[in-house]
Amino acid sequence: MTAAAATTPAPRTVIEARALTKRFQGLVSVDAVSFAIAENETLGVIGPNGAGKTTLVNMISGTLTPTEGEVIFEGRNINDVPAFRRAHLGIARTFQVMKPFHGMTVLENVAVGALFGRDGGEKSMAKARETAREWLEFTGLGRKIDLGADSLGGPDRKRLEFAKALAMKPRLLLLDEVMAGLNPVEVDEVVELIKTIRGQGMAMLVIEHVVKAIRSLSDRVMVLHHGQKIADDDPATVLEDPRVIEAYLGKRRT
Amino acid sequence: MMKRWTLIVAVIVAVALAFVPLVGSDTMIQFGINALLLATLAQSWNILGGFGGYVSFGNSVFYGLGTYGTAIAMTNYNLPFGVGLVVGVILAMIGAALVGLPILRLRGPYFAIATLGLNGAMMAIFSNLPIAGSNIGLVLPLTRNDTMFYELALGLLAACTLTVLWISRSRYGMGLIAIREDEDAAGTMGVNATLYKVSALILASIFTAVAGGIHAYWSTFVDPASAFDSTLNVRMVIMCVFGGPGTVFGPVIGSFVLSTVYEVLAAQISTAAALLFGFVIVLAVVFMPRGLADVVKGGKGLSWRYFIRNIRENRL
Repeated sequence: MTAAAATTPAPRTVIEARALTKRFQGLVSVDAVSFAIAENETLGVIGPNGAGKTTLVNMISGTLTPTEGEVIFEGRNINDVPAFRRAHLGIARTFQVMKPFHGMTVLENVAVGALFGRDGGEKSMAKARETAREWLEFTGLGRKIDLGADSLGGPDRKRLEFAKALAMKPRLLLLDEVMAGLNPVEVDEVVELIKTIRGQGMAMLVIEHVVKAIRSLSDRVMVLHHGQKIADDDPATVLEDPRVIEAYLGKRRT
Repeated sequence: MMKRWTLIVAVIVAVALAFVPLVGSDTMIQFGINALLLATLAQSWNILGGFGGYVSFGNSVFYGLGTYGTAIAMTNYNLPFGVGLVVGVILAMIGAALVGLPILRLRGPYFAIATLGLNGAMMAIFSNLPIAGSNIGLVLPLTRNDTMFYELALGLLAACTLTVLWISRSRYGMGLIAIREDEDAAGTMGVNATLYKVSALILASIFTAVAGGIHAYWSTFVDPASAFDSTLNVRMVIMCVFGGPGTVFGPVIGSFVLSTVYEVLAAQISTAAALLFGFVIVLAVVFMPRGLADVVKGGKGLSWRYFIRNIRENRL
C-alpha cells in the first residue's frame, strides 16, 4: 500500500458523474449533478426525501439510464453498459428496500455476490461459499448462515445486503441507507464495519440520514436538494452550511 | 445440500426401474414408457420454470420439433433413428434460441401469455409443410421393441435428472434461482439474466425434443395436432408443480404419482377420470403448493398442521 502510494501521487478517480440528469416524464429527479470519488475516498450523500439520492445510485449501478450526462467508471463512459456488466467492472450496491433472495439461505445469498461479482466472480462453489462465510462473519451474521434469508429481521437484512455487496469485491461500493431503521448501538456497529473496509482501495458512496454516521465516515459530503447539488465539501463545512440546514429544516424565521 | 441417502435411494430406484421390462407385462412397459417420457418433460420444464421461475407454455413446441425432426429425417431421408433425434434436437435448440431471445424479455404473466401462442403458430406452419406431410402427418417405420423404447426413455430421464442435479449444485443454478427470486437484484449482482434464461430454455428444449423423438418412433405416427399439443405443456407444468418446482427429484416423483393416479382412475371409472384427476390437482395445489418434495422434506415432523399452514400462508 505505502509503496504504491509513493509512486502514484494523486489518487485515481474511480467514479465520475458528469452533469447527470434524470427526468421522469417532465419531473426532474436528478438535475445536472456532477461529482467524482477517488480510490479510498468516501463520499457521503445527504438530502431530504425525494432529493434524488436513490435515483443517482440507480444511474450509477445501471438500474436506470440517465436522460442526460455521463457516468464515467475508471476513465470509461459506461452509460450503455448493462447492470450485470457494471457488477463485473466492480460496482456493487445495496438496496434501500432490501431485496434478499427469499428461496435461498443467508449463505447462498452472499455466495451469489461472490459467484457473479467483479470480473464475473468466483467460478468454484466451494470458494464462493468460503468467501460468503467470511463476509457473513465480518458483518456479524456468522451464526445465521444456514437460516432462510426471509427469516431474518430488519437489522439483519441490512447486514445481509452489506455482506452481499462486499462479497462482490467491488471497486465502488454504493450504500443506500444501510443504517435506516437501526438503533444507535447498531448504527455504531455498522459505522465501525464500514471504517474497517475503508482504505482498501475501494471508493464508497454512502447515502445516509444519520448525520452522526455521515460525519464520521465521509471524507466529503454532497448535499442534494430537489435533484440539484447544493453543497460538496468536507463534512464540517457542509453540515454547518446555512443552505443545507435550510434544506433540511426550512428557513429560519427572522 | 442434498442428503446422501436421497441420492442412494434415487440410484437404487433407477436401477430397479431398468429391470421392469424383464418382469413386467406389455401394458406395464407401455405405461412405463409414457410415464418416463412425461417425467422427462416435467423435469426439463423444471429447468427454466422451477429454477428460473419463468412459467413457459411453449415447451411443447420443442416436443413437436423433436417429433417432426425425427420423423422427417427417418421417413424422407431414410436416416437412422439416432440421426433423427439429433435433427430434432437441433431444430428444437434453434427454436428455443429464436423464441427465447425476444420473449424472455417479458416478465411473469406476460412471458407465460406470449408462450401460449407458440403451439398454434407451429401447428399452422407444419400443417402446410409438404416435407412434414402437411396436415396428414408422417408415418414412421415400425419397430416392435418396447423394451428398447423403455430403456431409452429411462436413460433420457436419468440424463435429464443428472443435469438438474448438477444445476442445483452449480454456479449456473445459483444464477437461475437468483433470477427467480429477484431478477433486478440478480442483475445488479452480476448475473447475466438474458444469457441464463435463454440457455435454460435451450437446455430444456434438448431433453424435450429427445422425448418427442422417442415418442414419435414408438408411436410410429406424427401429425400437427398431436405434436404441438398445448395440453401436453399443461401436464408438464402440473406434474412439475405437483412434485416440487426447483427441486431435483420433485418433478420426477410428481409425474410418476400423477401418471399412476390417472392410469388407475382411467381403468376404474373411465368417464369421470378426467374430472377426478382435476379434483386431485386442485386439492394438491391447495394443501401443498410447494409440491410433494416440500412435504417429504418435512419428514417425521409432518402433521396435518403443515397442510393447514399452507392454506393460511397462501390465501389470497
